Amino acid sequence: MPPLLQLSGVTKSFGAVRALKGVSFSLAAGEVHALLGENGAGKSTLIKVITGAHQPDSGTIAVDGETTGKLTPSTARTRGIAAIYQQPALFPDLTVAENIGLGLEKPSPFRPVRWAERRAHARELLQRVGANIDPETEVRNLSMPEQQLVEIARSLGAGARILIMDEPTASLTQKEVQLLLKLVRDLREQGVGIIYISHRLEEIFEVADRVTVLRDGESVGTKSAKEIDEPGLIRMMVGREVSSIYPPSESQPGKPVLRLENVGCSSSGVRGVSFEVRAGEVFGLSGLVGAGRTELARILFGITPADSGKILLKGDSIEIHSPRQAVESGIAYVPEDRRRHGVVLEMPIASNITMAIHPSFFPGSWLRFGKERELAEKYISDLQIKTPSSEAPGGSLSGGNQQKVALSRWLATHPKVLILDEPTQGVDVGAKSEIHKIIRKLAAEGLAVIMISSDLPEVLGMSDRIGVMRGGTLTRILDGPTADAHSVMSAALGQDEAGGIAA
Amino acid sequence: MTNPIANSATFKTTPKWKKAFFSFEALLVVVLVVEIIIFNSTGTNFTTRDNLFEILRFSVVLGLLALVMTPVILTGGIDLSVGSLLGLSAIVFGKLWRDAGMDPWLAAICTLVFGAVAGGLNAVLITRLRLPPLIVTLGSFSLFRGLAEALTRGVDNVTGFPESFLFLGQGYLFGVIPAQLPIFILVAVGVWLLVHQTTFGRSFRAIGFSPEGARYAGIPVERRVAFVYILSGFMAALAALVYVAHYGQAKADAGSGYELLAITAVVLGGTSIFGGIGSVHGTLLGLAVLAVLRRGLTLSDQPAELGSILTGGLLLAVLAGEVLLKKFSSRRARVKTNAQVSQITPTT
Amino acid sequence: MKKYFREISVAVALGLLLLVLAIFAPDFFKPTQLLTILTAAAPVLLAACGVALVIMCRQIDISIGSQFALCSIFAGMAAGHGLPMPLVMLLAIFSGALFGAINGAFVAGLGLPSIVVTLATMVTWREALRWWREGEFVRDLPGSFQWFGFSQSTGQIVLLAVAGVVFLILVFALKHVSGGRFVYAVGSDAEAARLAGINPRLVTFCVFVLMGALTGLAALLNAIRFPDVDPKTGTGLELQAIAAAVVGGVAISGGRGKLWGVLAGVLLLACIAPALVFLRAEPQWERAIQGSIILLAVAADGWRSRKGKI
Repeated sequence: MPPLLQLSGVTKSFGAVRALKGVSFSLAAGEVHALLGENGAGKSTLIKVITGAHQPDSGTIAVDGETTGKLTPSTARTRGIAAIYQQPALFPDLTVAENIGLGLEKPSPFRPVRWAERRAHARELLQRVGANIDPETEVRNLSMPEQQLVEIARSLGAGARILIMDEPTASLTQKEVQLLLKLVRDLREQGVGIIYISHRLEEIFEVADRVTVLRDGESVGTKSAKEIDEPGLIRMMVGREVSSIYPPSESQPGKPVLRLENVGCSSSGVRGVSFEVRAGEVFGLSGLVGAGRTELARILFGITPADSGKILLKGDSIEIHSPRQAVESGIAYVPEDRRRHGVVLEMPIASNITMAIHPSFFPGSWLRFGKERELAEKYISDLQIKTPSSEAPGGSLSGGNQQKVALSRWLATHPKVLILDEPTQGVDVGAKSEIHKIIRKLAAEGLAVIMISSDLPEVLGMSDRIGVMRGGTLTRILDGPTADAHSVMSAALGQDEAGGIAA
Repeated sequence: MTNPIANSATFKTTPKWKKAFFSFEALLVVVLVVEIIIFNSTGTNFTTRDNLFEILRFSVVLGLLALVMTPVILTGGIDLSVGSLLGLSAIVFGKLWRDAGMDPWLAAICTLVFGAVAGGLNAVLITRLRLPPLIVTLGSFSLFRGLAEALTRGVDNVTGFPESFLFLGQGYLFGVIPAQLPIFILVAVGVWLLVHQTTFGRSFRAIGFSPEGARYAGIPVERRVAFVYILSGFMAALAALVYVAHYGQAKADAGSGYELLAITAVVLGGTSIFGGIGSVHGTLLGLAVLAVLRRGLTLSDQPAELGSILTGGLLLAVLAGEVLLKKFSSRRARVKTNAQVSQITPTT
Repeated sequence: MKKYFREISVAVALGLLLLVLAIFAPDFFKPTQLLTILTAAAPVLLAACGVALVIMCRQIDISIGSQFALCSIFAGMAAGHGLPMPLVMLLAIFSGALFGAINGAFVAGLGLPSIVVTLATMVTWREALRWWREGEFVRDLPGSFQWFGFSQSTGQIVLLAVAGVVFLILVFALKHVSGGRFVYAVGSDAEAARLAGINPRLVTFCVFVLMGALTGLAALLNAIRFPDVDPKTGTGLELQAIAAAVVGGVAISGGRGKLWGVLAGVLLLACIAPALVFLRAEPQWERAIQGSIILLAVAADGWRSRKGKI
């Protein structure tokens, strides 16, 4: 029996850049095939070739052993190929039923729209993916995981037999991830072939049957998930050994820098949060998505100011009503959504780095270009940002290097407290460990670091102490070195047990 | 919609001299030179000193609006109300002088304050209520012009201003330099410094590219945006004073259609309507292209309508040309970053 | 209820205005008076529906006033040359569609921002017309032109019927024909639409063409109300139409809005000028009031969404 999908020698160039160099790849029905690689390795291009968004320069694509001609998004769809992206490709202003309907119905413009049928069909499909969503809801009122479920339901309705999932868990909580992985297994049972892309290796070992690693546009190899382990995969991806994933803690926590007393903000659903962070400490903040971690960070950074409780910085009570005030108080926040909030993609690296220090760095508001370039070059060499020059736009860098630019911007403010929100999300393995080293170094220099992360091994590996949030408040503080995945997860899920200090 | 202009213009990989040579500004200079050559052969006395000053005189009012429209568009906004506000400010000034019996210079100062307050109305609606500038200023476009009409019942013109005030728009310094020229130069230099040499200009660009990104960088986005709309209102009032002094009368339809001309000058000057990209010197070039065209047609005994038609056509041709040119020439540069760009903005 | 909040609130505002008029100026409700107001509003309604479609598609068209004027002149001249009325109507619609196609080609084909493109075409068409006609009216029209050759009262009803039928077709098509939903889809998220097999550029282009065709029809319906055709007609129509659409709840960010709301918006704005006359206020206030209503409507939206978000 021919494989469900077979790519042979696919090549794709953009001008002088060869994004794919003769990649071959196969997917069987009822198989979960993981696709791995650092950012820029060619995964996105490969997906776009499979979904018909890009036409390959050479090579063939066969579905069910039958070579396809030129694939366009719509012919790919009719052949049963569907993709779920990180950001769901849904219509925010339309209802769930219509979103599903528009995805399934033939895109001919003069067909009657049967609303009742659409709703019934949507309900049925949503049930199939185990989603409890009213088809009449507008999509913009749904949470991210709900939107993903809608998208998966839509692909199933389209008779998708080849489902591409691009970082589907990037914005999901641990619990939601488990639900999603269960759904992936269910779909596999139903004979769907799934191409699964993720940076989270543990997920890959949990669901994947086979793994293909891409590097620099080439396929490094395909292995059965059973015959390879985590270090082996990382070796394949980076082409070198990554000895220890998490650098050891070197610092001795000093005096408390930031202290929160019963801090809350009714509009963002955070209430009664109390903890303190000491100088030289990495305080990990864990919890399910929606537990209020990012919301807490946004309070501390003045985006949604606190309306109850007290925030003390080095013992002095402070008010933070705007990001500006937060910066002036010495609180820095590297946001979760790097592309929208962390870096202005169109602006040069140098401008990005000085953006938070306009008043202090440019007295009298006059720009000083030479001084700015010097500062930028200092950070480029300190943090080993890979860029042709300090004038290159932020968007021309890879994810990890963008994150370093975002980090530089906040280090330039000489903060007392640094809040990192998912600092390594969507960052390739090599850059990830570099960022971890930087965090360690900063803590060793006496900075108080709050690190929000959904990546459990990262929280465990990096934190001196771990705060766990649940339902908008901080429920437990665990000691970093002794905590394990089980204790953090059970605190996040609200299963009370011994081992932590009640906060 | 995708924005090919913004994407490719920001990824600069070519050397500096090459960039300058093939830049948008260079294209405008060529257009300008061609215009001058044509009008020099068709019109009479085109390349004379007097004519140069005449062109400058006629472009001051529009120029003030275009200059201040540049930072507005840089923030990704637009101000459609400047022309209407010019008319309303002219009426307010006329009424303050004639009906309230104010000294013309005091009335002028009050008018400037009024302009800033009217701009403040736009600013409040845009920043406090987070409304799209296009629609807010469309509303105030109607409101300001409507108020001007209502205040004058559509017929009342204020005339007979004192000579000392009219000098501002009709007089000559040292016998040759139009009196409004120093104002224009001062404003032009001021706006250029603001946009290109201060953190304000930097903030405008950041806001234009990504308002949320700017906010998360601690930039006081609302204050900066409010500032440009207030400045815009202030400048409309200043333009109104020059307008009244030039024509010697304040009437309700003063400056109608100027918002469109000002936007044309700015966009023609290479400022991206999506914000972030653009320069004040580009706007000045765009303005020059427009002004020379109009003046040249007048001197060549061509109807004024032809100037407007050519303006519209020129705007479309230049933009379309830019897009098409980018498609061919910078294919390589664009493609180099394409892999990353498409990752950055998977859903634009 | 919440879904139709905007449409209802505009309808309530209209109702209140009518109530005030009923108390203070009952003469307003004379049938002839109402018919005059409605026939004047009908062309605006068609143009506003066109603009609403464009806005739903996350674009804008500010050139419709100029298109309107050109189409009116074309229709008048065609009728003057003795063409039968159905052909004149087709010509007006076709020429409008052509203007729309030009805008659409620049916006959808080249990817230029619609505000700049339609700004340019607005100025170009208007000035070309001024150059060409030099302000001269089209006079000496055949008897079959004004009111389609009917008496005034019959003509008014025919006009309203034509506009009403077109409006209802649009309402139906936008809700119950797949192509109508594409407009919302493209306005909501063009990339998602592309992934769903919809061609966003084609949809955008078609919306501009449809907008032009509606403007052409609106121009004809407007022109037949008068014995001759004014080349300055339609000045400021783009603002009236956009105002009506925005007041009627069409979101400027695309993807949202209903034509019933646009209808309510058109009626509300259409009643202001006559209401001023009947309430013995100065008619010069009309524009200022129109502007205030736009600002109030969007401010109310902003207020609501802000409260809703936090």
